[in-house]
Amino acid sequence: MSTVVPTMRHVRGFDVVRPLSIGMLVFMMMPLVFLPLASIFIFGTSNGLDKFWAALMAPEAIFALKLSMATSFWATVFNVLFGLFAAYVLSRYNFWGRNALIVTISLPTAIPTAVAGFALLLLWGPYGTLGRFLTPHGFQIMFTAGAIILANIFVTFPLAFGVIKPVFDTMSRSLEEASATIGATRWQTFWHVTLPSLRGAIVSGALLTFARAVGEFGSTILVSGNLAGRTQTAPLYIFAKFNEGQIEAANAIAIVLALFSFLIFSVLFFARDWLDVD
Amino acid sequence: MKAKQKLVDEQRMSTSSDNAPPIATRVIGVSKRFGKTGVLENISLDVAEGEILVLLGASGSGKTTILRIIAGLEQPNTGKIILHGRDVTELPARERGVGVIFQSYALFPKMTVEKNIGYGLRIRHRRRKEIRKTVNELLSLVQLEEHRKKYPSQLSGGQQQRVAIARTLAYKPEVLLFDEPFGALDTQTRTHLRREIRALLRRVNVPSVFITHDQEEALELGDRVAVVNKGHIEQIGTPYEIYNHPATEYVATFLGAANILEAVVQDGFVETECAKIPAELDPNVYRTGDRIKIIFRPEDVLLSRTDFLKPGHFKLAPARVEEVSFVGAYERLRVRLEQPGEDCTNGETPYYLTTETPDRRPRSIIATRPKPEASASSLKIGDRVIVAVTSFTVIRSS
Repeated sequence: MSTVVPTMRHVRGFDVVRPLSIGMLVFMMMPLVFLPLASIFIFGTSNGLDKFWAALMAPEAIFALKLSMATSFWATVFNVLFGLFAAYVLSRYNFWGRNALIVTISLPTAIPTAVAGFALLLLWGPYGTLGRFLTPHGFQIMFTAGAIILANIFVTFPLAFGVIKPVFDTMSRSLEEASATIGATRWQTFWHVTLPSLRGAIVSGALLTFARAVGEFGSTILVSGNLAGRTQTAPLYIFAKFNEGQIEAANAIAIVLALFSFLIFSVLFFARDWLDVD
Repeated sequence: MKAKQKLVDEQRMSTSSDNAPPIATRVIGVSKRFGKTGVLENISLDVAEGEILVLLGASGSGKTTILRIIAGLEQPNTGKIILHGRDVTELPARERGVGVIFQSYALFPKMTVEKNIGYGLRIRHRRRKEIRKTVNELLSLVQLEEHRKKYPSQLSGGQQQRVAIARTLAYKPEVLLFDEPFGALDTQTRTHLRREIRALLRRVNVPSVFITHDQEEALELGDRVAVVNKGHIEQIGTPYEIYNHPATEYVATFLGAANILEAVVQDGFVETECAKIPAELDPNVYRTGDRIKIIFRPEDVLLSRTDFLKPGHFKLAPARVEEVSFVGAYERLRVRLEQPGEDCTNGETPYYLTTETPDRRPRSIIATRPKPEASASSLKIGDRVIVAVTSFTVIRSS
């Protein structure tokens, strides 16, 4: 061992850079993330918890929250099943146009949500490419809860797929081959062997999709019609109340949504071990 | 050790006797190509009931493809697979009833040991009571009773492998196929495991095909060994035959160190270097003047300081010691043969050298000597010795 030359960074074994860099990180995140979030809670509860509770319990507020949950739920169910199916096909079979399909599935993340909503309107709306033929027959999905689900599906399309596909790709083929030689049908192999290995990916894919769908604004406001008590989701409610100057009403729902995303990401973060248990 | 060897010999005798056990698995004329590259070319082999056949070959030789074709995980382009008289060539893997032990074991990670073992019966919708009984029997057979509730990731490599074997035995497979089962283990565990598995296979008496690139493993495990090279079988035989009577140069060199010298047939003799060695060659195969190669193992080489040789030792040529190394159980020497003609006592130039340009190959011979011999007469670099052989095999020079 050569003699240790003391430097500025190491004072008697104490690494000065460590506390400095951690402090800097926290300092930078303060105005960007921590303080905005904190002010929701500070502002929302500044008039007392009674006011907060009353704002939360307003029928329109409750309806908006329920509608958000319901539409997000169905979009999640669809996208997880679809993501599972798409990931299976795209990682198991190699065919012409496979990469084009993968890119197309991933595309919605890169499309502005307002564009997504607009695109849906142009397809299904009363004068849309398909809508103009369907509307005369009494079929109009736009401006209903169905439209919100469609918009949610569109903007969260690649999320579950993106989590599930890598697991498929890295999953050893020999597990499925072993199952086949043991005598299992494809379906038995999928159910007993493949699916259990995907449990973690499915749960985290679903949570991601759900979290994203609950917060969706840009596409929803275009396709839903934003009718209070009918097609107004929680983020739309916040926007509407804010425009009406009812800051407290908007704030109450904002708190709920913020807490809700905390919850989902805590599950994603802390349940990681459970989700990936081998 | 000796008793064990005797037992093994007896078993080998019995497999080669006239009332041989029926054939469990046949591979008939199988060829396989991936795209334009041919992987297997007209492969035929039989596995007898209760027999262990080892497919030995370098990586890329096609041995794994043979296994996968037997298992039904790959379709051959031509040829047939027969399991106990039933043509299964067109059947998918799940209807063949073979057991595959993958190199990675391929245990189901989200199932406990007992669930893994019972899987084959569960998907066959057997009764719960029957499944439990079979699983218990197999757990005790592979000695994993106390690990039944554990997950594969909590087991050692050897334990995982035993679970993998038990999992296939549960549904009474027609044949067991082992794909490099010891590849991922350290040398010590590997040696230990292969003895354990050999004993286990003897007990359950299921015909087995092993794949390996390790010649020592092949010789120890196999009742018979098939050496696979570039998509075809070079030789099939007992480990004894393969090692001591290699049919091709490839087999000779693949199964450990081999010395190879060019020679010529000369009525009942082979001539090489300056030596004329008596050899009983089939006169229908080898005629005088045929160019051949003689192959002998390092342990068949005898180095002596004098010309005096015991009967049964055939003098080859004088040589100088070039390298002496100590390799644990024995001493390994490299000697360089002196230029022929230099010291041929009869003064005649050997036949083949007159018809051939001077041989420029490094004329090195590898010899090994057991410890007692090495210490009785020590040899140093530069010493002059007489090289003799005790036994050798002849193959046709290509």
